[in-house]
Amino acid sequence: MSPRSYKPGETVDFVVVGSGAAGGVMARELARAGFDVIVMEQGPRFTAADFRHDELDYWFNNALLNSPQASPQTFRRTAEETAQRVKDFPALWYARMVGGSSNHFTANFWRFHEVDFRERSLLGAIPGTSFADWPIDYAELEPYYTKVEWDVGVSGLAGASRFDPPRSKPYPMPPLPVKSSGVLLERGARKLGLHPFPAPMAIASVPYKGRPACAHCGFCMGFGCEMQAKSSTLYTMIPEAEATGRCEVRSESYVFRVDVNDRDRVTGVTYFDRDRREHFQPARAVVLCANGAESARLLLMSASARNPNGLANSSGMVGRNLMFNTYSEVHAIFEHELNEYKSVQVTRIVHDFYDSDPKRGFYGGGGFDSRISLNPIGWALFAPPASRAWGADFKSLIEAMPRAMVVATHGTSLPLESNRVDLDPDLKDAWGLPAMRVTYKDHPDDLKFAAFLQDRGLEVMQAAGAQQAWKAPITEATGSPHLLGTCRMGNDPATSVVDRYHRTHDVRNLFVCDGSSFVTSGRGQPTMTIQALAFRAGEHIAGFARRNEI
Amino acid sequence: MKNNNTSRRDFLRASGGAIGAAWVGLNWPAVAAAAQHAHEAAAGRIDHEFKVLDARRACDVAAIAAQIVPTDDRPGATEAGVVYFIDHVHAGIYASAKADFLAGLTAFQAEFARLHPDGGQFADLDAGAQREYLKSVEATPFFGQMRFLTICGLLALPSYGGNEHKLGWQLVGFVDQHAWQPPFGHYDRDYPGFVPYAKAPQS
Repeated sequence: MSPRSYKPGETVDFVVVGSGAAGGVMARELARAGFDVIVMEQGPRFTAADFRHDELDYWFNNALLNSPQASPQTFRRTAEETAQRVKDFPALWYARMVGGSSNHFTANFWRFHEVDFRERSLLGAIPGTSFADWPIDYAELEPYYTKVEWDVGVSGLAGASRFDPPRSKPYPMPPLPVKSSGVLLERGARKLGLHPFPAPMAIASVPYKGRPACAHCGFCMGFGCEMQAKSSTLYTMIPEAEATGRCEVRSESYVFRVDVNDRDRVTGVTYFDRDRREHFQPARAVVLCANGAESARLLLMSASARNPNGLANSSGMVGRNLMFNTYSEVHAIFEHELNEYKSVQVTRIVHDFYDSDPKRGFYGGGGFDSRISLNPIGWALFAPPASRAWGADFKSLIEAMPRAMVVATHGTSLPLESNRVDLDPDLKDAWGLPAMRVTYKDHPDDLKFAAFLQDRGLEVMQAAGAQQAWKAPITEATGSPHLLGTCRMGNDPATSVVDRYHRTHDVRNLFVCDGSSFVTSGRGQPTMTIQALAFRAGEHIAGFARRNEI
Repeated sequence: MKNNNTSRRDFLRASGGAIGAAWVGLNWPAVAAAAQHAHEAAAGRIDHEFKVLDARRACDVAAIAAQIVPTDDRPGATEAGVVYFIDHVHAGIYASAKADFLAGLTAFQAEFARLHPDGGQFADLDAGAQREYLKSVEATPFFGQMRFLTICGLLALPSYGGNEHKLGWQLVGFVDQHAWQPPFGHYDRDYPGFVPYAKAPQS
């Protein structure tokens, strides 16, 4: 069936705002359940043929991103500072296009563990933070993780990680072939008694559901997949939603207000089309899947006389508890060539340090993986230590790039109410709308744990026989593509924005489901869980609609 | 040179004449390589028209880039045509940054002139003196920008004006190809396969 096109002004059952990891899943689930759906997407629609191996344009000219020119942001560490405009690269970044960040993500797709959902109960309160349990547990999400693996497409080896939570089904595809970096990580980690395992990736290792297998071109992170092997919603959920004949994806349609009537019921959304003409799209219900930065901003921009602090914000939590995931790196150079520029980013992971251990003296959990951190420009820019930043020493270092690898860590970020997205009081974007203001300062434990993991990564590289290995300086975060926590789930309307089914506590026919729903950060690589949440929410929301409970 | 639209040949002439023979002498291998490029440019293969930089600026930009990625027995920024990249992107992909970049360069040149009242420009110094001078300014935003642009000029797609003949990619051992097959490197060649662990006690 060909994609549906709704008439201007025609009321649909659902408007889904955002077509990325969550929005794509939501659209397919609601359309398959028999509802009329319009997906609003800010950015353009590309095809695989549009994607290029152009590191300069993609990484250093924001070709796919919310660019700081058109979609400016300001950044500050604390509310006492005046936020400054971010210049070259957005603080909170995402791919602004149909499929969203599922186009340019790295595609690390492991499940959260049971502990992620109930850590507050296990560890107790952490003073000064809004550390809390999720209102759902792993068992409740497990069937939807399985759905992600099979419907979206994940390659991996079930049972390979001794730390993995229980699963109801194996992966549908075998893991991708190991790279030299994966072999070395595994070698070093096993020597130290750790338990590395093949990385689960949302990349087809074999032909899958009409998509070809990965060709190992090496341009995953930051790039759109020209093979359609990466399981982006652009190639998976979106076409399947359109195939129902009930879903229209309206690209270059920038929603800037969710409209409500005087009974606090959503009536639809107002948006700019590609020519910046304003339109109102009526809907019986609205689901925000615009990502952990933009969903919160949209609710705040939807403030009115009735809701002066923003829509669905009686708790004051919209935009707050912004979390990234801490990150640190170890660089290593070996005797022989690895050629890390080939194939997918990650092939082996270590999760022996996943659980927080009070004996360490600080909160934190996570893991590390083997990879090349970026393509040639990025590696040359960021990998060298300060003492070898230019000149003959620099040159000899970059000549060793084929023998280099990176251990990248992924860890927890504690939720803090002071870390937030809100509206800049002065700066406007290219459409005249309030720019996003970001306030973020890492909790000290987050930085301590990033350093702890980095030390473990260094030991592994040394055990693997690295000729040289060095730690990249750990600095306070100034941004992230992991956009989490800003419309947190919870049972208590006083401290959370959405309930356990992603319905906003304040507005019965308004839902939010994306990274903003997270209560805690997990240990990184959030997209798998975002999609599991979206499958679960889609099923429940469809049920509510069918039972007239919206 | 008054004309911004300076060709590579003019650039070399300006470097050798107006700027001083010293620079050409000390940078002879680079200049020889550049002359070869000029020949190719004349044959229409490479765009060696300056769009933003005049000769005096181009000389300093080329000299700084040549210190960031120097030429030894393997090519460096000079052979990769980094100066053309830096020129071209400020008329293209980074056109909006042109004013800031030129302001930074002007300030660099003015500060150099203030410290060297006897005349000449940065590019006239010998290589050792250039390195010493750059160490004194390596914390400045302009040097950071030059480092960024030099690396991009070395390693970006050749269509941006640098990375000539893919010399930058050759230097770092990168091959841009749309498909590869394992083994990818030395260490995965004889990988025996993943050996599972004994079941862990459930925590």
